[in-house]
Amino acid sequence: MMELIAVLLLLVFLSMGFAGAALADGMLPALIAGQARSSWRRPIAEAARLLTTQRIRTEAPDALLWFLAPTLYLALAIVGLAVIPFGPGLVTIPSEVGIVVWGSCEALTIVAVFMFGWSANAPLPLIGAYRYVAIALPAMLLSMFVLIGAALPAESLAFTEIVEAQRTVWNVVRQPAGLILFLMLGLAISLRGPFDYAGPEDLAGGTTADVSGPSLLAWKVARLAMLVSVSAVTATAFLGGYLGPLLPGFVWLALKTALVLIALVAAGNFFARMPPARMMGVIWTMLLPLSFLMLLAVGTELLLWG
Amino acid sequence: MAVSALSRWAREAPVPVFVAIGDGMRERVERLFCDPGIERAATPRHAAILLIAGRMRLEDREDLRRLHDQMPHPRATLLWDAKVGEALGDAEIFSGGTLESDKDAGEAVRDHLERLWQDLASGERPSEPDLLHDEPPNPWEGIGPHGQGGKGMMGGTPYGRPMAMTSDDLRDGLALDTYTARFGPFLPMFPPGLLLEMTLQGDVIQAAKVLRPPLSQKAEENAPAALSRLARLLDLLGLPALGQRTRLAVAGDRSSSTLEKLGRAIRWSGAMLAIPPGLGAVEGQGDLSARLNDLLAVAGGSSPATRPELPESAHLSSLLPGLEWSEAMLVLNSFDDKTLSMLAMVMDEPDEERDGHDHDGDHMRHDHGGHHDHGGSHHEHGRHQGEGGQGGHGDYGSHQGHDPHGSHGGHT
Repeated sequence: MMELIAVLLLLVFLSMGFAGAALADGMLPALIAGQARSSWRRPIAEAARLLTTQRIRTEAPDALLWFLAPTLYLALAIVGLAVIPFGPGLVTIPSEVGIVVWGSCEALTIVAVFMFGWSANAPLPLIGAYRYVAIALPAMLLSMFVLIGAALPAESLAFTEIVEAQRTVWNVVRQPAGLILFLMLGLAISLRGPFDYAGPEDLAGGTTADVSGPSLLAWKVARLAMLVSVSAVTATAFLGGYLGPLLPGFVWLALKTALVLIALVAAGNFFARMPPARMMGVIWTMLLPLSFLMLLAVGTELLLWG
Repeated sequence: MAVSALSRWAREAPVPVFVAIGDGMRERVERLFCDPGIERAATPRHAAILLIAGRMRLEDREDLRRLHDQMPHPRATLLWDAKVGEALGDAEIFSGGTLESDKDAGEAVRDHLERLWQDLASGERPSEPDLLHDEPPNPWEGIGPHGQGGKGMMGGTPYGRPMAMTSDDLRDGLALDTYTARFGPFLPMFPPGLLLEMTLQGDVIQAAKVLRPPLSQKAEENAPAALSRLARLLDLLGLPALGQRTRLAVAGDRSSSTLEKLGRAIRWSGAMLAIPPGLGAVEGQGDLSARLNDLLAVAGGSSPATRPELPESAHLSSLLPGLEWSEAMLVLNSFDDKTLSMLAMVMDEPDEERDGHDHDGDHMRHDHGGHHDHGGSHHEHGRHQGEGGQGGHGDYGSHQGHDPHGSHGGHT
C-alpha cells in the first residue's frame, strides 16, 4: 500500500519537477542575459517544434544504441529517484543499499552519454562522448566518497536511514564542501554549464550535433529528468530530505529539491568551463583529495564524539 | 486534429536558424540574434531555416548546398544579400539594398525569418527538397583483407570516407588513432569562411592546414568589435547567457554601468581561471588570457589595445597543433579579424596541391582516384558522414584541385 502511494508520489514529483526544471532552464539564462522574460509557453512550443521535425539518420549509425541512449538516460533518472524516500517509509523501491543503486545510476549515465555520442558515426559527437567519459568518471568517483561521508553517520547505505540520521544535524553542516562537490556531480550528470563536456558550443552541440527532431527532444527530456533526480538526491543526502516542521514531508522534499535545482541551473550559467585537460587536473589533484579529507573529517568526528 | 494542435504550438517556438556568414556580415548577423524570437542553431540538424548572409566565394557554394541538405524537414532557405546564383535552388531572397539603415535591414530580415517559419510550421510552405544527389561519392573501393581500405582493420578510405589509423601522438608518442578531416567553412565556432584540414588524435590537433581563409569582415578594430569577440569567447567558455548579455550591450545600451556589471559577472564566472596560462601565445600578441584581459578592459571602458605586428612565421598551421579541440577553438576566436586573416593565410604549396598529398602522408593517403567528394548529403535524407553536421566539412579528404562539383551533377 505504502509502495503504491510512493509510486504515485514519484510520478507527481517527477512531472512537477520536470515542469519546474523546464521553466527554470528557459527563464534563468534570459534573466542573466538581461533579456525579456520568456513565456511559460516557450518550452512547450519548442517541444512541439521538435516533434514535427524530421528525425535524421546519419550514414551507417548505430541505430539501436542511438535509440536506446535517451531511453537509458531517462530510465536511470527515474530509478535514481525511486530510491528516495518521500516521507517516513514512503519510498518506491525500499532498498537497504539506496546509495549503491544511485551510484550505479551515476555510473551508467556515462554509458548512456557515450552511447549517444558514439552512435551518430560522426567525429564531433564522438569527441564529445569520450571527452565526457574522461571528465565524468573522476567526477562520479568523488561523488561516491562524498556519499559515503553522508552514509557514515547513519551507519547505513539506505537513504531512509540517512534521512533519519539527519534529525539532529543536517549533513551539509557535517561536510559543507561535500555539498559543493555533489553539486558539481549534479552539473556533470545532467550535462550542464561548467561540466557539460558532452554537448558544448565548441563542438557545435557535441553528442547532439547530428540529432534532430524527436530524438533531440527525448534527449532533452532525459537531461531535465536527471536534473530533477540529482536535485532530489542532493536534498535527501545533505539537506535532510523530507524532514521539516509543520508541512508534510513530501512538500519539504519538493521545496528543498526546487532550491537545489535552481542553484544547479544558475551555476550552470554562471561559471565558466575549463578546457577538459585542465578540468581533469583539477578533479584528480584537487577535488578528489578534498573529498578524501571530508570523509576523514566525518569519520574522525564520529569516532571521537559519535 | 492532434497534428494541427502540434503545429499551432510549433509556430510559437523561436525560429531556429542556422546561419552561414559571408563577406562583412558577421556584425549584422550577430545583432539579428539579439532577438529572443530567433535562435541560433548550433548545427543544421537543429535548424529549420538556413540563412545565408552576405557574398560567398564560388567554392563555398558546394558547401552551402551540402549544408542545406543536412537540415531536417521542414526546412527553408533565406538569402540575405547573398550572391550565390542558382546554387541554392529557388530559395527566398532578401535584398537589403533598398533600405535606409542596417537596423531597418535587420528588422526586415527578422520579420522575413519569422514569416518563413510561420509558413513552414503551418504547412503552407512546402519543405525544400534535397539539392544534391543522394549517393556515396564513390563506390566501395576498399583494399586489405576485409576490403576496408588500409592496414588490418583500420585506415583507408572506403566509399571515399577516410578512416582512422594509428599514429604517434605529438605529446607523448603513444600510438593512437589519427583522423584527418576538413572542418569548415561554416562551422559556427569557426571564423566564417575558414576551412581547415586537420589531423586529429582524439581531440588533440596533430596537424592543421588552411585550405580557405576566413571571409573578410569589417576589419576596423573598435569597441563593438572587441565586445563581439568577447561574446564569442564567452560562448565557447560555456557562458552563453553572459555572451548574449554582451551582444545585447553591443547592440544597444553600452553605458558604463552596464558594462561594469557585465565585467564583474565575467570575472566572477572564473573565466580567467579557466584558461590555462600560456595557451595560444603568439609573439607580440600575448597568450589567450592576455588577449581576454584586453577584451575585458574594453568592457571596462578603455579603448582597444593595439598590439605590435605579427612575426612573419606566425601561422595557424604552427599555432594549432598540440592543442586540444576546445583550446584551439578559444585560440581561433581570440584574434581580431586583421590578425586572424594574417594567421590564416593559405600557404602556397603547389606540389601538395597537385599531387593531393596529405601533409602527413603515411596515413590517409587516397589510393584510389581523385574523384571523391565526401559530401555531407549524398545520401538518402541528407544522411551524412560528417563532423557534426556543420557546413561544408563534409568533403574531408577530398583532393584539392579537382572540381568539387564533379562527382555529382547538381540540379542547377
